Amino acid sequence: MSLRFNRRLFLRGMLQGTAICAGIPILDLFLDRNGVVYADGAKLPVRFGTYFWGLGLTDTPTGGTRWVPSKTGYGYEIMPELEALKAVKDKVSVFSGFRGIGDGRPNLVHWSGHASILSGVAPGQPGRFDAPSFDTRIADAIGNSTRFKVIDIDASVSRLPVSYSTRTGVTFAMPETTPLALYTRLFGPGFQDPNSDNWKPDPTIMLRQSVLSAIKDQRQALMAGAGRSDQIKLDQYFTSVREMETQLATQLEKPEKCESCVVPPAPKETPRSASIDSVRANTKAMAKLLALGLTCNQTRVFNFVHTAGISETYVPGESKIYHQITHDEPTDATLGYQPETSRLAGLVMQAFGDFLVELDAVREGQGTLLDNCLIMAFSDTGYAKIHSIENIPMFLAGKAGGRHKAGQHIHAAGESVTRVSLTAQQLVGAPVGEFGSGSMRTARPIAEIMA
Amino acid sequence: MRRYVIATTVAAILSLFLSLSQAQQPSSHAKWTRTYVVEWNEPAMYYGAKTGVTDPGTDCPKGTNPSPDWVKVLVDAGYTPEEAKWLRDPANPSRSPVHGQNQMAFRGKDRANVYTNPTSTPDPGLVAVSGTTAEGLNLDGDENTGFTSPTGEKGIDNNFYKALGCWKTYRGPHRLSSGALNFNDAMRNGAWTTVIVVAGEGPDPMNDDHVKVGFYVSNDKMVKDALGNIARDYTFRIAPDAKYEGVLSARTVNGRIISTAPSDIMLRDPSYTRDLELLRARLDLEMKPDGTLTGYVGGYRPWEAVYRGWVDARGTVIEVLTWVQLPAVYYALRRNADYSPSGPGGEKTHISFALRIDALPAFVMMPDGSKEVASVESYKAMAPRESAKPMFPFRVVDGIVPDPKYPAGPHAVILPASSSSANRSQ
Repeated sequence: MSLRFNRRLFLRGMLQGTAICAGIPILDLFLDRNGVVYADGAKLPVRFGTYFWGLGLTDTPTGGTRWVPSKTGYGYEIMPELEALKAVKDKVSVFSGFRGIGDGRPNLVHWSGHASILSGVAPGQPGRFDAPSFDTRIADAIGNSTRFKVIDIDASVSRLPVSYSTRTGVTFAMPETTPLALYTRLFGPGFQDPNSDNWKPDPTIMLRQSVLSAIKDQRQALMAGAGRSDQIKLDQYFTSVREMETQLATQLEKPEKCESCVVPPAPKETPRSASIDSVRANTKAMAKLLALGLTCNQTRVFNFVHTAGISETYVPGESKIYHQITHDEPTDATLGYQPETSRLAGLVMQAFGDFLVELDAVREGQGTLLDNCLIMAFSDTGYAKIHSIENIPMFLAGKAGGRHKAGQHIHAAGESVTRVSLTAQQLVGAPVGEFGSGSMRTARPIAEIMA
Repeated sequence: MRRYVIATTVAAILSLFLSLSQAQQPSSHAKWTRTYVVEWNEPAMYYGAKTGVTDPGTDCPKGTNPSPDWVKVLVDAGYTPEEAKWLRDPANPSRSPVHGQNQMAFRGKDRANVYTNPTSTPDPGLVAVSGTTAEGLNLDGDENTGFTSPTGEKGIDNNFYKALGCWKTYRGPHRLSSGALNFNDAMRNGAWTTVIVVAGEGPDPMNDDHVKVGFYVSNDKMVKDALGNIARDYTFRIAPDAKYEGVLSARTVNGRIISTAPSDIMLRDPSYTRDLELLRARLDLEMKPDGTLTGYVGGYRPWEAVYRGWVDARGTVIEVLTWVQLPAVYYALRRNADYSPSGPGGEKTHISFALRIDALPAFVMMPDGSKEVASVESYKAMAPRESAKPMFPFRVVDGIVPDPKYPAGPHAVILPASSSSANRSQ
């Protein structure tokens, strides 16, 4: 049977004297019998996110590891600091042994590790990356058809907002730092409920789009009269204009109905405390909001910071903060690791477990939202006591719509962290053949986990 | 004939070039050379326990000095218990998670800054090494003074170890103390590179009475293998340095390189001090059959610079991370200083010290990279003007990183307004 309608069809017409087009909901006839792909073969959208936590996990020079499984491939054992991932283990791949390679550049503590992972090059100075973070490349590839190209979230309750997403290497994204702020961003002014029967295009968006269109009309004339340098600047400018137009056009279309999209009530303001339980609660609340934001198609790309590289989190009642403990706690000779540091690392990972469980709790087709996500989680350091950038813990969570052969442990001692970054980019469909610079330049994704 | 004239002219020009370049570079040739890159270096601190890094041992029978009770320290310094607890509370916004609690500096008499004025507070005490075994060198030639080495050699002078060997920063088995791990990780990741050239005049490198050993800086970074270890046999060019260089005279006996005369040298220190100035420096290194080099270089180093290094690394951070009150370090170093450059009756401004070194075979080239070094010479004359790079990307003033939002000092208001008023009403 040939379909007379397909999922790309828009209903076009006039509303209050204005031409509009309205998308059609995801009807069953558009989906295959398993509810995982559209009938024309296109898959449900894959979302991508980064998840960052500070201070690594426990794997010491004296041989005490608390997170690296001994078994590789499928069926890896749950190590003590990965206990929180048990419920979603089959959807999480673990990467051990990967390292940042400075090519002679000194290790900038609590910075070089994640800068290498995100930008592909060890930075020359603290506070800056030497290349854009790769999440921006993914956002360019898959983030243009939603209201927000990317959502940046910082659950750390740090003194200053924390974000490691950058297009310039100099300025970093401004994240939402409270559940209420995230709620307002996702579901506050400008949000269009896809399940509402009274949907109308927002006149303020239409006005903004018309202004941009007027600018666009003058583009050809401007470009023709400009020199080469100015043409490059104008091209960059109009590229951003086009992106904004796309975003606004998305909001002028009636959003697809979505059963799993439930608009949550606004959360209450939470107390500003970086205690480990507060940060965990913050992470859980913001993960829930993010999950709904994703399923309500507000964005397809996000960056989530649990704690900064120099984590400020602490156990209530203790005078030492977690960061301090990683440095000052001696290694227990019998155990081979720092017991309190390991305990705290386990608590920090509980928040990551909560985060994934929230995404896995949202049904989508025959699977869950997590099945249609790829979340790359990583830290700034391997062995935090000495700020090592060897063996930085990294995870890929979610099945990326079936592209990620999840649930494996990949061990590659001495390999560059950029191999995992490249793999993530390719799994979500970013047009990237290689990633990184110098010794971290790689064109070798981790094929074992790619379907 | 014409060909001969051209060839002669070319040869003359080449010879002129060669003589000019040789005039700028050391030119003597030894009979043999062995060249290395330092892959690990740490203060020679003998660990007297069998396991762990803090356990009681023959060096420190009560184990590593414990973490101070900072609330008590602050109360002893005159703060109220409520103020002391608030200063140590992670929720206190004046306590930076990066730079610590600046007010911690102000616990001397009349709340003087104890980092810049350590004698403004009584000696808090740092338990010293009480064992009789130490690693290092016999610097004064007197076997009746100092420690005994693990191999039974008498007269080992290492008062740096005696003073600080029970401090957590330095205590632990080889390569496992927190200080050694931190600084060597930085070095191995490219913070600095030290190369060693050993050259002799005799036919047998293992037994040669006329040996010179040179320590130089290289700007070429070490390379790690797939397991994260430093790879051997890489190539490093000497970078002439106006400060960091050391040349010592020695002899070899069955592959052991032993000083024949003391020298004054300056090496790159694996510490926040950076400068390892060693007066009357000596060495005891061994060329191992596997091609590696291991052993000690030591001498008398200025002790106040050591103290300042820790203060400038942010006293507020160092104290809580390394379990020490910095004034105790000041007093311990001063108490154990054992050398005066002006003679036996002079002020003891220096303390005996030894650096334990592990080096790998490497190719060491002349500064211009044209050829391998063939002798041990000084390259200081070729060094560019010294330009010290700042240690940190932030400004440290008197041991703290000032925060304009929360100014610390003798007159700082400690408790938040609501807490203060509640306190007053009680």
